[in-house]
Amino acid sequence: MRIFHNLNVNWMGMRKTFYILSIALFLVGMLNVAFRGLVFGIDFKGGSEIVLQFEKPVEVAKIRNDLANIGLGAVEVRTFGAETGILVRTELQEIPNEIYPKVVDRIRENINKILPGVPYKVVDSTMNSVTIEFDNPDTTNLMIAELFAQGFQTGKISEELDNKQMIVRVGIADWIKEVLREKVKDNPFQVVKEDRVGPKIGEELKRDAVLAVLLSLVVILIYLGFRFKFVFAVGAVIALFHDVLITVGLYALLYGLIPGLNLEIDLPVVAAFLTLVGYSINDTVIVFDRIRENMKIHKTMPLEELINRSINQTMSRTIITGLTTLLAVFVLFLLGGDVLRAFSFTLLFGIIIGTYSSIFVASALVVDYAQRTKKKVQFS
Amino acid sequence: MKEYRFRIIIILAAIALSIYLLYPTFLDYQNNKHIQSVVEQKKQEILKQNPKISKSELEELLTIVEDSVKQSDPSYIENRLKRLKLGLDLQGGMRVVLEVNTAKLLEKLANNPDQVFNSSLAEAQKEAETSDESVVEILARKLQQKGIRLSRYFGNIRMDDAEIIDQLKKDSEDAVTRAMEIIRNRVDQYGVSEPSIQRQGSRRIIVELPGIAKEEEAKQLLQGTALLEFRLVKDPEFTYQIMERIDKALAKVLAAGNDSLLAELSDTTKKSDTTAAADTTQKQLTEEEFKQQHPFFSVALLDPQGRSADAFVKEDDRNKILRWLSLPEIKKEIPDNVEFVFSAKPISTTQDGKKVYFMYLVNKQPELTGGVVTNAVATLDPNTSAPIVNMEMNSEGAVEWARITGANIGKRIAIMLDGKVFSAPVVRGKIPGGRSQIEGMENLDEAKLLEIVLKAGALPAPVDVIEERVVGPSLGEDSVQGGLNSALFGYLAVAIFMIIYYRQSGSIAAGVLILTILFILSVLAGFKATLTLPGIAGIVLTIGMAVDANVLIFERIREELATGKTLKASIDSGFSKALSAIIDSNITTFFTGIILYQFGTGPVQGFALTLMIGIASTLFSALVISRLIFDYLASKGAKISIG
Repeated sequence: MRIFHNLNVNWMGMRKTFYILSIALFLVGMLNVAFRGLVFGIDFKGGSEIVLQFEKPVEVAKIRNDLANIGLGAVEVRTFGAETGILVRTELQEIPNEIYPKVVDRIRENINKILPGVPYKVVDSTMNSVTIEFDNPDTTNLMIAELFAQGFQTGKISEELDNKQMIVRVGIADWIKEVLREKVKDNPFQVVKEDRVGPKIGEELKRDAVLAVLLSLVVILIYLGFRFKFVFAVGAVIALFHDVLITVGLYALLYGLIPGLNLEIDLPVVAAFLTLVGYSINDTVIVFDRIRENMKIHKTMPLEELINRSINQTMSRTIITGLTTLLAVFVLFLLGGDVLRAFSFTLLFGIIIGTYSSIFVASALVVDYAQRTKKKVQFS
Repeated sequence: MKEYRFRIIIILAAIALSIYLLYPTFLDYQNNKHIQSVVEQKKQEILKQNPKISKSELEELLTIVEDSVKQSDPSYIENRLKRLKLGLDLQGGMRVVLEVNTAKLLEKLANNPDQVFNSSLAEAQKEAETSDESVVEILARKLQQKGIRLSRYFGNIRMDDAEIIDQLKKDSEDAVTRAMEIIRNRVDQYGVSEPSIQRQGSRRIIVELPGIAKEEEAKQLLQGTALLEFRLVKDPEFTYQIMERIDKALAKVLAAGNDSLLAELSDTTKKSDTTAAADTTQKQLTEEEFKQQHPFFSVALLDPQGRSADAFVKEDDRNKILRWLSLPEIKKEIPDNVEFVFSAKPISTTQDGKKVYFMYLVNKQPELTGGVVTNAVATLDPNTSAPIVNMEMNSEGAVEWARITGANIGKRIAIMLDGKVFSAPVVRGKIPGGRSQIEGMENLDEAKLLEIVLKAGALPAPVDVIEERVVGPSLGEDSVQGGLNSALFGYLAVAIFMIIYYRQSGSIAAGVLILTILFILSVLAGFKATLTLPGIAGIVLTIGMAVDANVLIFERIREELATGKTLKASIDSGFSKALSAIIDSNITTFFTGIILYQFGTGPVQGFALTLMIGIASTLFSALVISRLIFDYLASKGAKISIG
């Protein structure tokens, strides 16, 4: 079987059309970035996120309602994986001051339920935890076990045998769990994932991510500059910029439009962008490699024709290499689960746009450069 | 055939090495299944015997069962160490990033902090949250702006600001070292399997605890101030008496079978538990009999010459002893004011690689606690050049210390951090003035450790949790399943496509692809790297990208065939002409892999690693293995269809 056999198309003659298409895609994307903005995951934004697995299917709307007025401000609720999974997220990292006493009251209530009238005193309370002292170590141990069984995060303050103090965590996640346990009584759940990221880490990661993408572009520019003529390297890197920016634009465009597809920029997505940079250059290299070869054979052929011929000759392999990778990534998109969905989506779209730009953008830029400078472009 | 021999040997060696590297993973998987079935069976038994058993007690018993099964065969642990490790996102667990709270540390370090200082510090702390500058630098700048010299609060009057800043920076780095040591000590105590405690940058510590169920307890391990204590070690005679009484009582308890599980466990403990001391002192008894009559002395070994009562205990036996000591029948044999404690670090290892710890009997009541230590410095004794630690105390502590040392000349004082003994030096004489010199360390590293420990009591290392990620085991299992399915179906999709499009050549590529995946996994296992969910994604992606090299080669071969060359000539020029494009494109991807590895953390690094290993194995598979198969078939005159 073969496709695109003996292709003879004047691609470079159509390059204006492709420029317009690329610019249009770019503008649509950037306008969306400007007006709709990009949504960052908690890796970058900081905040708390918990994923709950219920025993029976749950309605997101109900949970959202349950969590609407618990003093945490805007809480994001959506399904995670199957319909029994719920993801709850807030940008807060610590319990707000107004809520704090309520949470402590809840702990007091529970202590009283377990051992009515047991004497205790709160010895320390920080934003994250309350430390409670009982009269003797046995009560403390009992309380730690009982409260833990009820879903509180409890622990001993020290491993000493005569330890009388118990620490109970009061975090965002704990508060959410407490509320839901109360409100969704008929459907028990367990916490399968819990993340908390400080804002400073997020800022650092954002900067690192941008740096990493830029650095990889520079490295590719240098490497290709050595292997090919510099103008080819520039063409290839502009094409890569084009791929990355259009894919970023797509993120802004599609966010929230497709149910089940959560296009938030988190760490794996950045990894996908970097992979995209590394992979998308492959097709460009295939075409350039052929141009280099043809230049040696057809020394007098005009550049435009030479490039057309090279593109036509390599078209089938460009498409097929893209296609096989696309197949694997598509399977990953379908079966890889919620955690990898945005990651594989980035690659899925990125590979398509990357293949397109390798053929129609990178080489076209070289042709335009050559025409403008009236220089004869050659390889070393 | 001869011309291929070298290549065949290389390929077979690569495959053999891969299988060798992955075999422990396979065995470990089998072992785990076995252990789980044993534990499940035991659980049913226990529940049948005692349906009312509390959940925590059941769990405790099952852990003992699990441990004893694991100990029964050393190869279990060996395989476990060599297996391909799964990341926290796949096996569940907790990852915490801690940062030393420099502001709190500065507050502690400052002499006579006043209103100005406190407000400047608060401002500096706030600013540091969004800035690259450290709190020390910002605070210094703020104070300078106000025209205040740093020496007003830190160091002494003769030091200039730059010196003090350097000193403070060093102090905050030391705080990280201390925090790490404290955490390591506690995590060891908690018994988390395969914990990872790493330092990141100058102020951060990354702690990874696989399979943690009680996160709060685990987190408690990581935060909070360490407790440094000086406690009296009991005399050997006294300790020996107590041990003998425990031994007798324990033999009775076990014989009576009150604790059936324990009795059984002590029976099933491996016979390889040779008891050196027992052999010399109790020749007339066989090992089994000795174990029955002296269960305690069979795990807590004493020096046969009887010079000291510090018992040698193997790492696996520590929990067993603690459990025995908590039995009511045993508890009443031990006076209320003393307890058994273990050394923090192993003192030696047995022939089969088990670590051995000291067990001491010490007073429960500390003579002094760490608040009194003001400084500690590890150094070499100028006279003997032996490693020593010089310790200083504040005036209050010094008075107490003089009394304690004066009253206990010739006795030993255990230096304990969070309940573990780091050193138990003998008191040579009364120490007035609070300046003590501690000797007896093997080397300077050991002295440095003691310095850290002593300072841990003097200067807490306040740490904040700045990132925490907890993945439950069920989500991990789902992820593994999803990842495996993606890999399987991804492979099938690509393989079917290749076979349809390139026929026989395609099926060769599809076959070689399996080897590529084998190589990736084995290199991961060989490097002791961790397989994460993005790592699996990297493998799936590699499956799609690996055939790219084949596609380039096949398309070239087709072109060459179209010019009328023979199959053999076409294969030769196909491979050689495709080479430059293959190398160029893979190297660029490899570069991004390196950058990603540098930039990423945890799971993302796993992805970058599999990506890079994937590229290397792809090149080997496509350029060496496929090439050999093609060459060989062509030389046999076989016709290879290429679609």
